[in-house]
Amino acid sequence: MIWRVPRLVSRRSGASPVAAALTLAAGLGSGLGSGLGACGGARPAPEPGVLEIAEGAKTSAFTRNFNPLLEAGDMRWPARGSMYEPLLIWNPMTGQFVPWLAESFAFSADHLRLSFALRHGVRWSDGQPFGAADVAFTFELLRTHPALDILGVGEYLRAARAVADDQVVFDFKRPFVPGLDDISAYPIVPAHVWKDVADPLTFANPTPVATGPFTEVTSFQPQAYRIERNPRYWGGAPAVQALHVRAYPANDQSILAIINGEVDWACDFIPAADRILVGRDPLHHHYWFPATDATVALYANTTVTPFADARVRKAVSMTIDRARLVMVALHGYTHPADATGLSDAHQRFRDPAAVAAGRAWVAHDPPGAERLLDAAGLLRGPDGWRRGPGGRRWSPTMIVPVGFSDWVVASQIIARGLRAAGVDVTLRTLDYNAWNDSVQKGVFDLSMGWTLYSNTPYTFYRGLMSRQSVKPVGEDASDNWHRLAIPDADRLLTALEGTLAPEEQMPLYHALEMVFVREAPAIPLFPGPLWGTYNDKRFVGFPDQRNPYAPLSPNLLPQALLVLTRLRPQ
Amino acid sequence: MRFLLRRLGFYLTAAWASVTLSFFLPRLMPGDPATAMFARFRGRLAPEAIAAMRSAFGFSDAPLLQQYARYLAHAARGDLGISISYYPASVGSVIGQALIWTLFLSGVAVLISFLLGTVLGVLAAWKRGGWLDGALPPVLTLLGAFPYFWLAMAALFVFGIGLGWAPLRQAYDDRLAPAPSAAFVASVFQHAVLPAATIVVATVGGWMLSMRATMINVLAQDHVLYAHARGLSPWRIMFQYAARNALLPNVAGFGIALGFVLSGSLLTEIVFSYPGQGYLLFRAVKSLDYPLIQGLFLTTTVAVLGANWLVDLVAVWLDPRARS
Repeated sequence: MIWRVPRLVSRRSGASPVAAALTLAAGLGSGLGSGLGACGGARPAPEPGVLEIAEGAKTSAFTRNFNPLLEAGDMRWPARGSMYEPLLIWNPMTGQFVPWLAESFAFSADHLRLSFALRHGVRWSDGQPFGAADVAFTFELLRTHPALDILGVGEYLRAARAVADDQVVFDFKRPFVPGLDDISAYPIVPAHVWKDVADPLTFANPTPVATGPFTEVTSFQPQAYRIERNPRYWGGAPAVQALHVRAYPANDQSILAIINGEVDWACDFIPAADRILVGRDPLHHHYWFPATDATVALYANTTVTPFADARVRKAVSMTIDRARLVMVALHGYTHPADATGLSDAHQRFRDPAAVAAGRAWVAHDPPGAERLLDAAGLLRGPDGWRRGPGGRRWSPTMIVPVGFSDWVVASQIIARGLRAAGVDVTLRTLDYNAWNDSVQKGVFDLSMGWTLYSNTPYTFYRGLMSRQSVKPVGEDASDNWHRLAIPDADRLLTALEGTLAPEEQMPLYHALEMVFVREAPAIPLFPGPLWGTYNDKRFVGFPDQRNPYAPLSPNLLPQALLVLTRLRPQ
Repeated sequence: MRFLLRRLGFYLTAAWASVTLSFFLPRLMPGDPATAMFARFRGRLAPEAIAAMRSAFGFSDAPLLQQYARYLAHAARGDLGISISYYPASVGSVIGQALIWTLFLSGVAVLISFLLGTVLGVLAAWKRGGWLDGALPPVLTLLGAFPYFWLAMAALFVFGIGLGWAPLRQAYDDRLAPAPSAAFVASVFQHAVLPAATIVVATVGGWMLSMRATMINVLAQDHVLYAHARGLSPWRIMFQYAARNALLPNVAGFGIALGFVLSGSLLTEIVFSYPGQGYLLFRAVKSLDYPLIQGLFLTTTVAVLGANWLVDLVAVWLDPRARS
């Protein structure tokens, strides 16, 4: 499953409070609150039954691109949010697959064959029946156009075959159970329309034919577009009449729109949400920021001495005041991570024994950190600063992308802790692209960064500990920036690739957590919050902490379908 | 005529230099568009897909000179390629959409500022020491000396957020479809007033001062005295005898300002979230969208050089000495 990240300014699920946005919004809450109502003059009431959504992508002009396989391009949200549907939808709140275009799935005993029984009575929005041929066609497209196969199913998938109208079978090259997560999440496109598409890589699909609840583009302007409901929807015609999406050029603009009640459903980070958002209309304005997104960690580059030593990484971790960090930098929207590094979405995988075993090195314990650094041979010199292996002052540099204001504040707190322990760390803010280039190429000492996230902790641990994910310094690595391979972890990960039964998987995950706790390959800081806000003045049925039937954030695709099909006008 | 042809040759050379710079400069920035694009997926991209995407999206590893030659050939045909941040829209269509708004907003603002400033300068010089001459230059210089982004943000905060008189974003109300209707035109006007006003306020002082200075010089010359002696009407002397001669430096400045209409509106468009070229350039640079950056530089270059060429024509018309 892809955790779609909005473009540019807000690459991290909207978790990018640009300094200006923060200041502006904070100023609004305190100062000019009374003038806000007048914003935009006399706005006519929004059309009944039309849901206002704010896309995660911040732009001033929309590109009409409804190609669900072209997520790397400028894809519009409904392509995967309301139009093209997957076989199954993973619900991270329940830890279960929700049957969608497929009603059930089964692996063969050798895990080399995965079959899906498709739902009956599903029709494309042009009236043609949906069937196994469409599924096989979609995966054939991925095979012939590897650039569309962003999850890389081609690495383990041999072919997808339609064995009956309602039966599709995936043949694997090798046992790879986690492949189910990716295969079941791909949006299925109609063979009868797409077989005539010359180049699916440049196909913008302006008038989509899809199976989803909202498929008809009735208006498309650079600044706004409208999608009407699909009367043929297999789940019954949706209660919401249409979706209306406006272009917001920057985060502060969309935050203002949410505060003013112009948007019913959005995925923006809002600072001091209780005051700024809920305070404006306690009855209707709601937010839900569960800590179920990927964990944010501090990476220590193990190709740089002395970070190859696990004791040093643990000592760095012990200098960090995580409670203060989440309170100051994250507005208290999340909580400190434990030593397994697992996000709250993976709660059921968490092994209490592993948490207990690592409790010491994620606690804020400056004296303990000093003892550990002394033991690692990094002794304080006469000037109070610690000396590195060569006897020279140990002066690592910590980098952070400029504009990630929450990360900048967090990095400052981390640096303060390190300096108190005698580590002469300097903090450098870099342009986002320069920072990205440094961490991917492994040319850095210390940096905060996100981790990988998928249905299970498999991807998370693979990206932090597997030999498969290690690239030489200087080569772009999308994960394992710290360049550390742990053979014990590789063994467990390989075992997981051939294990399906949850009761057999769990001991393997617990063992992986123990390896992580022992080695501290990355220093977990906090599980990322998943930003989601809604306004129930006009529509009801949104999930929240009282009714957590699905994640709230519309940014989460295809999970947004779970919410969209439940909403109804007030 | 020779003068104009010589200028044309100079402009072609300048255009080539600028196109070359716009090709190499973005490539000197850290990172490349591929990693910038892939970073959005936070590592959730298969290595095979990254390799395939590199070729599919045209992220070439070919030697720079080879890429440069291909870029020149394509640009000469008017093919600017496909934008990366607006994929799969073409650079031409993305720029075209933004160009209209920039031309409208900054063009009108610069024109108003130029005309207003010039006329004020003429009047101030004519009635030297009068109330207009005493009050306006210090006030306008003060306003022009504010950092522009500060002026713009303050205006947005007071008139947009505080008083609610002006819209906060975009070029027209997003519930209207672009159509030649009264409502749409009114909406476009409503959205342009505040940004245009800030440009005028920030720049009008410059035009006024330069016009006033030249005008004072010209007014002291013999032919103006002669015109007075002949008993011509003050208006005729002011505009036909003095202002026409004093206008030359301002017209040359106007040409440069017109060229900067396309690029110089960057801050206005970012602060007011106006969907023009400046905002586009800001986004293109942030996402290392090489084709779009190149396309924007190209249109800006063509605009600056084109405007200067027009100024040359006007100069020839205003000043007979330039003809020989």
